[in-house]
Amino acid sequence: MSAGMIIAYILIIIAGGILLYMAFRTGDRRYIYFAVAFYVVFPVLVHLPLPTSISPEARQLYDAVDGLPDSSTVMLTFDYYPSTLAETEPMSRAALHHLFKKDCRVLTMTTIPLGGPSIAERVTREVAEKYGKVYGKDFVNLGYKANYVAVLKGMGSSIETIYPTDNSGTPLSEIPMMKDIKNYEGIDFIIAVADNAIIDYWISIVNSQYGVPVGTGVTAVMAPRYFAYIGAGQMTGMLGGMKGAAEYELLVNEAGTATKGMTAQSLVHLFIIVSVAVGNVIHFMERRGRRRRIGV
Amino acid sequence: MRLTITAIVTALVILTAVFAFAQDAPAETSDGNIFRVDRINALVFMLIFSIVILTYTRWARQGKELFLRKISGLDQLEEAVGRATEMGRPVLFIPGINEIDEIETLAGLSILGRVARVTARYDTPLLVPVRYPMVLAAGQEVVEQAYIEEGRPDAYNKDIVRYVAGEQFAFTATVNGMMVRQRPATNIYMGAFYAESLLLAETGNAAGSIQIAGTAQPAQLPFFIAACDYTLMGEELYAASAYLSREPLLLGGLKGQDWMKVLIIAAIALGIALSTFNSGEWFLALFRNV
Amino acid sequence: MRTTLPVIIAFLSGFAMIFLFFLSPEYSSINGVELEPEILSWVTIVGGFTLLLGVVSIVRVNYTAVKRRKEGWGYKVATLVSIFAMAVPAIIPSSMSSLFGTGPGSIYDWLFNNLDAPMMSTMFAMLAFYIASAAFRAFRARTAEATLLLITAVIVMLWRIPMGEIVLSGIHENIPNLINTYIMNGANMAVQRGIIIGAALGAAAMALRIMLGIERTYMGK
Repeated sequence: MSAGMIIAYILIIIAGGILLYMAFRTGDRRYIYFAVAFYVVFPVLVHLPLPTSISPEARQLYDAVDGLPDSSTVMLTFDYYPSTLAETEPMSRAALHHLFKKDCRVLTMTTIPLGGPSIAERVTREVAEKYGKVYGKDFVNLGYKANYVAVLKGMGSSIETIYPTDNSGTPLSEIPMMKDIKNYEGIDFIIAVADNAIIDYWISIVNSQYGVPVGTGVTAVMAPRYFAYIGAGQMTGMLGGMKGAAEYELLVNEAGTATKGMTAQSLVHLFIIVSVAVGNVIHFMERRGRRRRIGV
Repeated sequence: MRLTITAIVTALVILTAVFAFAQDAPAETSDGNIFRVDRINALVFMLIFSIVILTYTRWARQGKELFLRKISGLDQLEEAVGRATEMGRPVLFIPGINEIDEIETLAGLSILGRVARVTARYDTPLLVPVRYPMVLAAGQEVVEQAYIEEGRPDAYNKDIVRYVAGEQFAFTATVNGMMVRQRPATNIYMGAFYAESLLLAETGNAAGSIQIAGTAQPAQLPFFIAACDYTLMGEELYAASAYLSREPLLLGGLKGQDWMKVLIIAAIALGIALSTFNSGEWFLALFRNV
Repeated sequence: MRTTLPVIIAFLSGFAMIFLFFLSPEYSSINGVELEPEILSWVTIVGGFTLLLGVVSIVRVNYTAVKRRKEGWGYKVATLVSIFAMAVPAIIPSSMSSLFGTGPGSIYDWLFNNLDAPMMSTMFAMLAFYIASAAFRAFRARTAEATLLLITAVIVMLWRIPMGEIVLSGIHENIPNLINTYIMNGANMAVQRGIIIGAALGAAAMALRIMLGIERTYMGK
């Protein structure tokens, strides 16, 4: 650890201590808000890298994708709103790096009308450019269609019926990559990245009824719910929140915004843990003081 | 009952007609089965479930006493509304942020009906912001009916239930603004909630409101528990309308539900025992493809 | 009739979906039209029409507040201006100009990407602040259960961050794996399953009550 990093950590501890003291003293929750803001902004300004380990769920997803034969077809979904981009976009990016490195054909789509299609377009094209991938031959963006249950079910019979054209209006029949992708039978694996309960439908409709393996990327708050699907074998791996995204970035050796965000997340978590611990100590001291006063 | 039988008969007639047309489907793609044999287990489960629920409903109607455990959050509803009345401040009710086709939203609207009766009785202002127009229409109907039944149609105003925004966080920002500016004394959240749960509940907490929440979204329960005074968990939300109305017909359904849970627990226990002794394959097969 | 007809419609719609669930795919279409997606798209179409109700409601509430100069009426003006600024250019066909419609380069697209999306992200980001203040205020070891909850929460929070992993592995290298096995894949999974099964049964029972017209409270009965 360099001298600069030691100074940075000392600064972090002092600032946190002062803000926490003020929060307890005044009872004003805005000091807590200020501390959180400080811990998020500080690592952006001062680079403080941290080592990340790999969870079994992220490893399972990586192994499943890595085990696919080269040139397999993988569907990558962008089922998230712009609000959760910080957690979800790095997952999509890392997955695209992995898929394009393996020369997989990538089919993207979204069930989110607000922002979904443009996020899919932007992220896929940016990553594809790095690998020299060509639209229509190596990747296709189907875009958005309303009524997700009907869309997920309908693609089981015919993708072209649900999406007669791609996101930019080109008929699917004119896109070379789509020649042999007619329904789920032409798709080897699905990576559903989502910030909402659409994951349940990818599992209950697409995995359970059509047998396509589904791996997922979900926000941190959603992750605990989906361990049950992994346990039941209905979900093939999962990336949970920004940590999951950082793990996948590490696995594909493409450090991105999630890896950078790990320091901020670590500091905020630690601040919460310390404030909870200090709060409890004060709570016990007050309770003991009260008991003494009333002679219990 | 007559209504139910009429509905069943009409449905069967229409579906038979649909089915007759569907017979024109190309025979070469069919494996010979009209119905999906792989889903027979789901059908059996559904039939058992329906029979149990309807049997208990019937017993309840015949006057059989049914015990219902105490649900504190629901017991406190009237008191919480009473507090708002005393303080002369409004009651805020949110029936979740999902569409009307979600059962959680319907459960929320059922509870809204009960809350609206109390606010109508005590002449307490009620605010119901919603995220979907269909929920708006249904919510207005529910609240208007409650005000009529309490003999206060004059106090009903179409803007009690109001559409605020279709986007999740725009909705949250608007409701938070209402909490800060109009300072409701009581906030009731009943239905499906997602990331906005804590944003709403924490703002309500900071505004000093009494808060009662209920959701079947497991991920949001910890947030509501941390920031609200009372929280209904999972199926308690669906039980609310029966619990509040004490209507035998609805109570019967709850009892049936409990028995189904007993059956599931028994199946899990049997499955564990059989799997432990390596002889559970046939049993597991019963639950595949459901 | 005011409640009978809706109950019959509710029953028929529910029954049709259940019936189609059990029907072989070859038999669930008429003249090549798949019935299940078809019915589901009716729901979308009906939903689309009700949007007008929402617009009427939001305009009426805000316009009344502005007209009566109620407290905070300035915000209502901002709401009304935003509604029309987003909606009007989006409704005008893009064939007239690329600025209209909802495609790339349109006014709607620009407003969405540069105003709406950052505002949504900001609202979501506020969760971090609220979680911190809720934890600070509410996490007290008042009872044995609350203490257990507190300890588990702290362990999981540490486990989800690189710094925490360093701390936990420092105590014993196997601790992160044990947390994954016993807390996340053990206790957490069992509890989640319990809640999901209970809630699913509750939802199914409620659906049955609605279909059979036993539960009509959502219609105000």
